[in-house]
Amino acid sequence: MVLSQGLDRAVAIRSEEDIVAARKVARHAAEALGFGITDVTRIVTSTSALARNIFLYAGSGIMQWRRLEVGTGGIELKFEDNGPGIADIKQAMEGGRSTRSGLGGGLLGVQRLMDEMEINSQVGKGTIVTVRKWLTR
Amino acid sequence: MEAENISVVKVRDVLMVTVPPDPDDETISALQAQVLQAMEQYQVKGLVLDISTVETLDSFFARTVVETVQMVALMGGRTVVAGMRPSVAITATQFGLTLGNALTALDVDRALYMVSDRHQEKSHGTKPRA
Amino acid sequence: MMKDNVKSKGQILSGEGVDYKAIFQAVPSAVRVVDTDFNVIIANPPMAALSGQSLEASVGRKCFDTFKGERCHTKDCPLTRVQKTKTTMKAEVVKERQDGTKLICVCLAAPLFNREGMLTGMVESFEDITKQKQAEALRATSSYTRSLIEASLDPLVTIGADGKIMDVNKATEQVTGVSRQRLIGTDFSNYFTEPEKAREGYKKVFSEGSVTDYPLTIRHTSERTTDVLYNAAVYKDEAEKVQGVFAAARDITERKKTEEALAKQTEIIQRQAREILEISTPVMQVWEGVLVAPLIGTLDSQRTQQFMERLLERIVESNSPMALVDVTGVPTIDTQTAQHLIDTISAVRLLGAQVILTGIRPAIAQTLVHLGVDLSGITTRSSLSGGLLVAMDSLGLQVATSKRTNGKEA
Repeated sequence: MVLSQGLDRAVAIRSEEDIVAARKVARHAAEALGFGITDVTRIVTSTSALARNIFLYAGSGIMQWRRLEVGTGGIELKFEDNGPGIADIKQAMEGGRSTRSGLGGGLLGVQRLMDEMEINSQVGKGTIVTVRKWLTR
Repeated sequence: MEAENISVVKVRDVLMVTVPPDPDDETISALQAQVLQAMEQYQVKGLVLDISTVETLDSFFARTVVETVQMVALMGGRTVVAGMRPSVAITATQFGLTLGNALTALDVDRALYMVSDRHQEKSHGTKPRA
Repeated sequence: MMKDNVKSKGQILSGEGVDYKAIFQAVPSAVRVVDTDFNVIIANPPMAALSGQSLEASVGRKCFDTFKGERCHTKDCPLTRVQKTKTTMKAEVVKERQDGTKLICVCLAAPLFNREGMLTGMVESFEDITKQKQAEALRATSSYTRSLIEASLDPLVTIGADGKIMDVNKATEQVTGVSRQRLIGTDFSNYFTEPEKAREGYKKVFSEGSVTDYPLTIRHTSERTTDVLYNAAVYKDEAEKVQGVFAAARDITERKKTEEALAKQTEIIQRQAREILEISTPVMQVWEGVLVAPLIGTLDSQRTQQFMERLLERIVESNSPMALVDVTGVPTIDTQTAQHLIDTISAVRLLGAQVILTGIRPAIAQTLVHLGVDLSGITTRSSLSGGLLVAMDSLGLQVATSKRTNGKEA
């Protein structure tokens, strides 16, 4: 398994185009690490949602990813911004069950798709969302 | 990134749109605009949205599809979303995305039949045997 | 001196003219004379040197004070024995010098009689055999240690600072297939399948002082290889100067075999698990456009997710808009699995197909309702055949009884 050259480990999120770039990077990384098609889709969808959050709420931020070496291995993606931060994380999670159809998903949705999720946020300082998915074999 | 060319084709009395594999927001918005324009331009019974090459379905896409379905309905047409991939269907479901009341079909063939056939109000594409 | 004082044989034998005193002083062994009360009468210079006690300090004092030993005041004291038996005694004794250092000496003691034949005292001579004793002990220890080294089943080797083998044991000869003579003086790394790795390990011992569980493979002249783990450490002389590396190899061939067998077993188990999954959650096409998936046994989260993926793949692949999922064979499910089942139904709908759920048992009905999700969109039937009717109806199919059944007229 060779990771393709020129694979970014960090993607700046400043515009809507960057959301697509982040998706592409996440897809390449997930495929290179050997994830199955459905897990790749989960990782890309989560990336799209979290990158979009950065763009919508903070204006700009950065996505980074790295390979997890422990055990069967996996992928970790970190979404960081210096935006307004989340005051009530619990509420933010449940906001995924919005009645506006098509908006469903959000942080709650990402949590369902990924194996692990950590949110570190400080009001006025920024937010870091870290997600991980492990290979099953 | 420029909007990829969305082709809106009129096939008999139905509009056919083939969505590219990983469309960006601009492309998706352009899709909606072009569909509505075509709805106005042609006398069609509805729209078939071919997503058989789509690899990712994010919230913006899902929301735009639902809106488009509603808009097409308001303009007197029926929409069928065809050919969703299993990985996309599973991910969208677990993520919590829905296509609302949009009709779905296994392939474009069945979708075309569903749009043009006004007698069968079913939520899936089925063909009666000859 | 003797030239000046040439005496007659007779004179000498009678004791006249022989300077016994001078002779006593000149005797090369340590000699002293002790009376029956154990007072030192006289001692010669070698005695003084041995005991560390000068002549002046010895004479008139007790023998056990001036040159004490372990046997003093015991019945094993040579002088006491001589006194008793009036015969010569020889014994190996441990003595202590004036400065406290211990010596091992051979003590010869003999009785002294006067003209009347009465015992007037004892003569003692000492020979310091401390050094010989030490050498003997060392040899004994060495030979003991050596026999241990040779008895060890682990290949042992000492390597010098230049990387050359200094010493080996029998086990090393056996594992390399090379004799001791041919091994000594050669490069240690020659006998491994990865000489560079061996050299690195050896360097590590020098830089870190020791190395444990360092994996290497020893190569026998017959091309046979032995997988080992090395434990090695530097060893130093008394002056704390590093002499070389002492390395012990542990044969892990058996362990490796066990590990490989275990890995094979695990692979078999995993493969069988996959096969069981496919057998127990089959997806079969019973008609054009109709799939049937009877689920049997306990469904856990992972199995259900795998089933979900397989079912959807089959729907697309076979272009079947109808999928009957029968759960008669599933007694209970947990909430997570129930959620996956609901998700399966929703996902199939997104594809453009429909799931008909049949054979729901009471426990599953409970779990599904307790989930609190909207179940109104799910089509269910109590039996598989009931579900089949729904499917066929959907496809515009009908079951018609033919006029000819078993030859009977309709």
